[in-house]
Amino acid sequence: MKRPWYSFLYVRSPLAKIGLGIVGVLISIAVLLFLGVIEERRMSAQEANWNGRGVEKGAEIYMNNCANCHGVDGKGLPGVAPALHSKYFFTQRLTDVGWAGSLHDYVKLTVASGRPSKTHTQWAQVMPTWSQRYGGPFRDDQVENVTAFVLNWEEDALTQGVAENPDPWQPFTDTPSKAVASDGAPAAEEVAPEATGPLPPQELFVSMGCSGCHNLDQPQTSDNRGPIAPNMGNLPEEAGTFVPGEDAETYVHNSIVNPNAYIVEGYMAGIMPQNFGERMSEEEINAMVAWLLDPNRQR
Amino acid sequence: MAVQPEIEKRGFVQTVLDAADDVFTRITAGIPAGEVRRMLRGEAAGRPNPRLKPHSETFLLHIKPTYYHDSVTKFTHTFRLGLLSTYLFFVETITGLILMIWYAPTPERAYVDMIRLLSNVPFGQFMRDIHRLGAEMMVLIVTAHMVRTYLTGSYKAPRQFTWFTGVILLVVTLFLSFSGYLLPWDQLAFWAVTIGTSMAEAVPPKVVGETVNLLARGAPDIGANGLLRFYLLHVLFLPLVLFLFFFVHYYKVVHFGISLPSNEEEVGQDTANKVPADRRVYFLPDVMIDETTFLIGFTALMVAVTAFFFSAPLESIANPQSTPLHTVAPWYFYWLQGMLKIADKTVAGVILPGVLLVLLIAIPYLDRNPSRRGRDRRVAIISGVVAGIVMIILSWMGTPYYAVQGAPAVEIVQELMPEEGMGPVREIGYQHVPLGVYDTRERPESADEEFNHILHEFEASIAAFAEKDASFNNAYGILEVTQEQPSLKRITWKINWLSPDGKEEHFVRTFFLHEDSLYWEQYGLKDFSFVRPPTQE
Ligand code: HEM
Ligand code: HEM
Repeated sequence: MKRPWYSFLYVRSPLAKIGLGIVGVLISIAVLLFLGVIEERRMSAQEANWNGRGVEKGAEIYMNNCANCHGVDGKGLPGVAPALHSKYFFTQRLTDVGWAGSLHDYVKLTVASGRPSKTHTQWAQVMPTWSQRYGGPFRDDQVENVTAFVLNWEEDALTQGVAENPDPWQPFTDTPSKAVASDGAPAAEEVAPEATGPLPPQELFVSMGCSGCHNLDQPQTSDNRGPIAPNMGNLPEEAGTFVPGEDAETYVHNSIVNPNAYIVEGYMAGIMPQNFGERMSEEEINAMVAWLLDPNRQR
Repeated sequence: MAVQPEIEKRGFVQTVLDAADDVFTRITAGIPAGEVRRMLRGEAAGRPNPRLKPHSETFLLHIKPTYYHDSVTKFTHTFRLGLLSTYLFFVETITGLILMIWYAPTPERAYVDMIRLLSNVPFGQFMRDIHRLGAEMMVLIVTAHMVRTYLTGSYKAPRQFTWFTGVILLVVTLFLSFSGYLLPWDQLAFWAVTIGTSMAEAVPPKVVGETVNLLARGAPDIGANGLLRFYLLHVLFLPLVLFLFFFVHYYKVVHFGISLPSNEEEVGQDTANKVPADRRVYFLPDVMIDETTFLIGFTALMVAVTAFFFSAPLESIANPQSTPLHTVAPWYFYWLQGMLKIADKTVAGVILPGVLLVLLIAIPYLDRNPSRRGRDRRVAIISGVVAGIVMIILSWMGTPYYAVQGAPAVEIVQELMPEEGMGPVREIGYQHVPLGVYDTRERPESADEEFNHILHEFEASIAAFAEKDASFNNAYGILEVTQEQPSLKRITWKINWLSPDGKEEHFVRTFFLHEDSLYWEQYGLKDFSFVRPPTQE
């Protein structure tokens, strides 16, 4: 019989074969031992990995659902929703509300259930319920992820409280802080913003919190109503038609400084903050009115 | 036992030695120590053969033939692929049972359990990787085993039924793999199985299709019920079917004997069971040592590959509301996906695979040629090779490279930072993505060499698409990396271009990247950087 070219691979002796088998066993054992030695480290790397991925997912959820009210940077929007990226929030808030659990539980529960009640609130918006368990849109893992994202501000928030990096917290009127000044967590009373000259309306629309409730792009029509406050997509055309005798400029100006004077049908009085007249200069308000009524409004 | 008279007669030492040999013989089920020594020296057995006893004494050996024809014990005759298939099923059963400990088949728990398995169970990742690798190997090996029996013509009379049970085993293996695929409950699993079961829906007539679909998924869409059903199929029903058919298959193999190489016998004859005395190779010890050594070697290989080169994927948790870009089937179903791209669901998803299966079963009856010699089987072998090539081409068509290009901007970002999985940016990771704004029009450079590669790729990819695609003009990209939070960077891809009628268009996609995130590819050297974490400061 012709021997094939690979005949050098033939092993004939049973002892040699058994030897090879033993080598195989030893190799497997060596590899498993190596894995065993690094197993602890591998597991902690995996643990960190999944926490990290959770924060990534949470960031996406926050941007799409929460940033509108709590601010893209998490520092809250005045009158709309409180800051979360805040030293006060990480150090003092639980004590002030008398919460016995951890901050993690507090955030998770608040996200899950929302704050869907309007009694005693200084905030323009209620916080919707987010968990699917209570009728919201998020699965449990999403609630967990967005919680992880919020808590991930901690390191940064703890550096707040100095002049160049103030704590953005706006105190709740219904839960005054019990913090002693020496505790370090300054629940700063709302400081009058330094006069910086008139700010552009685009910026004010966000920083004053208007964007939390009013949608600039959607038109307000009978089958497309803003859920909390009217949409403003078609405000330039419609503004003059609400109150007889008030032209568009007067109407919009009045609606900013004295929101309750006229309430669009289907919305409640008292939702929109009453103090914009004090918080913005006359110049700023006029610029805002002109901008809102500009049909080619630029962001 | 009357020990005392024994000792008196034969002496103390001899009696102890005899007793020891007696115990040894019981353990080996009939082979005394001296015979084992002769086996290890490679000496032939005496007559009558004292090495046959274990075959009648023990359960596991009674299903093994006592001797083989020497020409079928050559590795290159069977490549031991049938043995390997059996062994892989065994490995899958053991590792699968271990995985079951930490796994609960509900949408709330399945994915979380996977994460816990990876991060909290010692050797959990290893078990999962080896189960997944074993599954893919099993599909591969069983198919290779079929190809070998096809090429040696072993399906011909009298082995038609062996072939038939083999086809059933192949189908069950594929279904096992497919049902296991859903269990991790991530996007990859969910969408592959959604697409797969949607083919069942295409079975005509409509009532039947819908019913089959409903039975498999347990609801119009895969959810808690579907997961439970797939789980039960995977861990109970299909393994039992495989087990049963394996024994039928194996009984037939032993009953007819493994077919001899075709040049060992006359055309049309089957002499596998008439082995001349001088050509017998006994199972004990020769074949046993060969098989054991072979399986040990294979195990060592598998352990090493699992440890260093294979990582079972785990994407984001299954989300029925969002279909990821470029969903793909597991590779062994690429060919189906390829067919689905060129024909409709009923034809490509039901009729053609059905025809294929019937053809496969019918091969022994279609091929009336009695000869198993390659020379006489030109038609059969060429059609086999052509079928193989068609499968490979269809499989290639099943990959996203064929006929599913989205909009250029979407594809450019997908290439660098896919929605799911790793991609080059996540591969270099958080540390190598410096903060800044990088505009491809300005040939941006950063201090990080690895990141510069990404920038170049971004630039090149935009240029390549701009050249190919007439609706993608004056394109440029801006990559913005900002610090979102401690340990979290925001990566924003912006691509601007002019449409054919000169309108400015843009596409924006934002991702976040955490410092601790590890992403990995399924195949390739594993990342062991965690062994020595980067020392900070
Ligand atoms: C009795 C035998 C088996 C049992 C008890 C079993 C059990 C399991 C379990 C509990 C899982 C979920 C864990 C996980 O996803 O990692 C799983 C996954 C899987 N099984 Fe099996 N299995 C068996 C046999 C098989 C066989 C024979 C194959 C393939 C031919 C297979 C292929 C798979 C695949 C592809 C996965 C997904 C792996 C992953 O991504 O992690 N299993 N199996
Ligand atoms: C789980 C799957 C399978 C297992 C465990 C298995 C197991 C085996 C074993 C152990 C043998 C002995 C000879 C050898 O190792 O080659 C064998 C022979 C055979 N198998 Fe399979 N097999 C499987 C699948 C298949 C498939 C898919 C086919 C074909 C469609 C097939 C067709 C055959 C035939 C025709 C023989 C006889 C070979 C001969 O006599 O030369 N088997 N099988």
